[in-house]
Amino acid sequence: MVDVKPVLPAEIISTILDFLPIPDLMNFGRTSKRMLEMVYEDSRWVQRLKIMGVWNEGEARKRFEEALKMKREMMRIRAEEESKRTGIGVSGHAGPRKTSTTLFDAGVEEERQKRSVEMAAKAKTSLDGFETLKLSSPAQSSPTPVTRAPMLDPEALLNVFSVVKSVRGSARLEFGRIYAALAPFYYDLARSRSHMDPVIFRVYRDPEQQAQMLSHLQIFARSDWAQGWRQREEKLTTMVGVFENAVLREFEQGYEAWDIDGRMRRYAHVLGVLNGGHAGIELFVQKHPIFSDRHILGNPMDCINHASADGIALEPSREFLENLAAKVNEQGAIIDRIFPVGQDVFQVFLDKVGEDILMEYITPLFDEAHERSIPSYLKAVAGIFEQTLRFAVTLTPSKSSGADFAEKVKAVVSTVFEPHVDLFLQEELDYFKKLAEMEVGTWEAKLSAQEATTESFFMANFNRQADKKDFLTSFKKVVMMPVNVLPSLPIVSPFASKTAPAQQVVNRSSLQAPSPGLSPGPSRPQTPGLGAASDRTSTPLPGEAPTDELAAKAALMASRMEGIRSLFSIEVALDLTHGAKASIERAALFVRLRGQTGEEAREQCEAIFVNLLRILGDRHVKGGFDKAVDHLSKYNPREVSEHQQGVAPLVTFLELVNVGDLISQMIDVFYEQQMAGPKLSDRNDFLDPAVKAKKKFEQMLDERVAAGLNKGIDVLMDEVEYLCATIQQPTDYNPAPAANGKTQDFDIGPTKAAEQVVHLVESHTKMLTGSTDKNMLDVFNQEVGLRLFTALCKHLKRQRVSVDGAIKLISDMNLYFLYIRTLKNSDLLEYFKALRELSQIYLIDPKHAKEMAEVIADGDRFHGIFRAEEVYEFAERRADWYNVKRDVERAMYGIGCVAM
Amino acid sequence: MAASESTRITLVSNDGAEVHVERNVAERSMLIKNMMEDLGEAAMTQSVPIPNVNESVLKKVIEWCEHHKNDPPAAADDDSDSRKKTTDIEEWDQKFMQVDQEMLFEIILASNYLDIKPLLDVGCKTVANMIKGKSPEEIRKTFNITNDFTPEEEEQIRRENEWAEDR
Repeated sequence: MVDVKPVLPAEIISTILDFLPIPDLMNFGRTSKRMLEMVYEDSRWVQRLKIMGVWNEGEARKRFEEALKMKREMMRIRAEEESKRTGIGVSGHAGPRKTSTTLFDAGVEEERQKRSVEMAAKAKTSLDGFETLKLSSPAQSSPTPVTRAPMLDPEALLNVFSVVKSVRGSARLEFGRIYAALAPFYYDLARSRSHMDPVIFRVYRDPEQQAQMLSHLQIFARSDWAQGWRQREEKLTTMVGVFENAVLREFEQGYEAWDIDGRMRRYAHVLGVLNGGHAGIELFVQKHPIFSDRHILGNPMDCINHASADGIALEPSREFLENLAAKVNEQGAIIDRIFPVGQDVFQVFLDKVGEDILMEYITPLFDEAHERSIPSYLKAVAGIFEQTLRFAVTLTPSKSSGADFAEKVKAVVSTVFEPHVDLFLQEELDYFKKLAEMEVGTWEAKLSAQEATTESFFMANFNRQADKKDFLTSFKKVVMMPVNVLPSLPIVSPFASKTAPAQQVVNRSSLQAPSPGLSPGPSRPQTPGLGAASDRTSTPLPGEAPTDELAAKAALMASRMEGIRSLFSIEVALDLTHGAKASIERAALFVRLRGQTGEEAREQCEAIFVNLLRILGDRHVKGGFDKAVDHLSKYNPREVSEHQQGVAPLVTFLELVNVGDLISQMIDVFYEQQMAGPKLSDRNDFLDPAVKAKKKFEQMLDERVAAGLNKGIDVLMDEVEYLCATIQQPTDYNPAPAANGKTQDFDIGPTKAAEQVVHLVESHTKMLTGSTDKNMLDVFNQEVGLRLFTALCKHLKRQRVSVDGAIKLISDMNLYFLYIRTLKNSDLLEYFKALRELSQIYLIDPKHAKEMAEVIADGDRFHGIFRAEEVYEFAERRADWYNVKRDVERAMYGIGCVAM
Repeated sequence: MAASESTRITLVSNDGAEVHVERNVAERSMLIKNMMEDLGEAAMTQSVPIPNVNESVLKKVIEWCEHHKNDPPAAADDDSDSRKKTTDIEEWDQKFMQVDQEMLFEIILASNYLDIKPLLDVGCKTVANMIKGKSPEEIRKTFNITNDFTPEEEEQIRRENEWAEDR
């Protein structure tokens, strides 16, 4: 541009060009080469294609790279030829010139190639143009003043967008093709005055084609940003609106006549082509009869009216949901018939179903249930949620539903339940807390009324470990029982025909039998009390399931452990865990909703678990242990009149340790099954509240056990000493010489005192086996052994032992030794070995004082456990000590004197 | 008094004329606005040279700024849809742009230099309107463009773009 004075820079001209309509733009391009270049600039046209959404950058790049490769290939070949030629021809300074030529060549080649492509394409377009001129003139009988130049075959025009290619450098040509096809209609429409006027409605008679064209025009309109586009677009929009309304009316008429495969189908497709068919979908869903005659689907109050005070009848709701599922699936099929593939009408429909039908159904139901009673509310929410999920599964996706259909349906369900979840979770937690507190409370009340008198009850030596294992397997079985919130309701079963009745029976009993606290109210079968009577009770149902076995075993356990009934009860623990299980299972259902709600539900589950541990641990177990330890510390063997085979409070305590361990294992199993299994809690996350609570619980248990054992050892040793002091006869080791001077005839064997002591200690240590962890057990055994050793030494020093009695003593010591060996503690065994050795000094005949002295001085003999002085002290206990003392001392010290 | 004084700044055109203008008016120009922000208080006392613009054009531009001083600041429309800026020229601007072609170009250049986007747009639209509906020959005449095509070339280009003709 050579202007008089001011010259506009290229960027400004470019901006100006943006404002020009296409024809003027082209005219401008014809003014000079520079302007043409600017007009032809590829990016200008790519931009327009892009805005219409037909430009694919990836495809363009691929093509471009391919072209580049080809060009390079050609260049290479040419260069080869060139080099050949130069090789043959005169060389001279061909080298440098050659390179420059090739470079130049490349540029030219590119240019030329592009040109040729353009030419070819151009030729094609113009050819098309001619063709249509020929075609359209007869077809149109053209009275129209303007024979719209490239009025191509109208059918072909409908697909104009599908043939667009993304090629760099030819965006203008592609745009030209689209423009040629659509611009005539577009501008004609923009100029038209009434909706009958536009040529588009005359060229195309079919509503399908009209819709297709209109939707094309809508896309095309986006590339029009010359001045006045707003008016043009408005015009187009109104025209589309008019058209849409007309089609919609047809659709509606078809709808009213329920002409599914005829008019409805046809016009739904038309609407789909036009603009995605939202209007049609909306109309379809809004006016759908299913939303108006919902009374046939059921009355939510049935669920409450048919149920007992605390229960909820889920049968009506199940029927309702089944009906609904059937209807919805039916509609899904119809939708498939009416609407074109790609429109997810079914989803919209489902949303509406969720919002209008499900919501309307559950909200009053939940509100009512909440007002009536919390348990029934909890059951209602969880139960209906479960049913709704099942309902969601039974829905069959329509043809145009995406792969995420299940997800979407779930989303619908979650929106329906969203408003209830918070309240539900809160109530669930409160309810569980209340229930648990009540449980423990009742038990405590009962206990204080009963007064703890039956504490002293010795446990038979039944095989604890086997029993416990047995019990735990039963427990595991119950915990692993499938989720069973639904059928756990007392009334439901008579008509719950379809959902595996067998399983229901099992589930029902599983929740009821061991935990009567769960189903309070009139329907409560009976109370398996704390007493032994409960083996018989179980549930009245026939076909006993494995859970009744558990009930029986719990009762059996309880009866065996009657001694500790006053401290804490395994049955209470069972009830609590069952309450927690039910609550967690109900709450865990909502975890499946994912998202925030799911997370909240998960947290609530953990909270329930934490509360379970808190109540069970702090209130129940800890109290029991404290009491037991208290009893232990008060125990004084001398005050107890009647001595059975054991120390009553210690037995109680050890039994308690067993039960505590059982509960702890139970909690562990429970955690694994209920929390870690369904991913409610991460067992490796040490910050997880549930894990923390569990650790705390176990720690608490260990602490109590340790404290108790400490006391227990004291008590046990007191008892040992007491036994030794009271039962050991002075004549045991020092039998009175018979009148005839001969030793009495006595049986070789341990004394009664030793037997009793061993029995006592053994029975107590055995009780612990398998109940606490191995380390603690080892420490305990070691301590017991050492203390026993000390006690025995002390005891021995109080005795007087004759050579005759030594036999008895040795057999006593052997007995102790044998017992200690069962503990499998080698350190400890040394002590008792030494003790056994030691007892032999009493056997030495007084005549062999010298040998005795050797034995006394022989430290190795006792493995360093007794020093010579100590052995000497023991030797003093010989009945004939004063006779041999001199000889021994002489032998011991005299040897030394001689040496000096 | 003090307030209005402090908001007035002095611009100096390339032919030495001083033009006093309210600061917020002058700040329609992004160039001046940025300069003010950089200079701070010093700008209040000094005059600001505008080396590329002569007095008459500068006055014209300021007239436009004066009229549009209360317009909402243009959003950063670099990335926004190109069609959004193509609103019609409002009436006042149409009148304002009724100047000879030389002046029109000067205004466009000045607005480009001073970075006044809305004014530049108005100018460009005005030029676009001048092009509209004209034949290539007429356009050449209007804008003083020399035709460097051979008749054959011209014909070829015409045929190449036949699709765009005659809307």
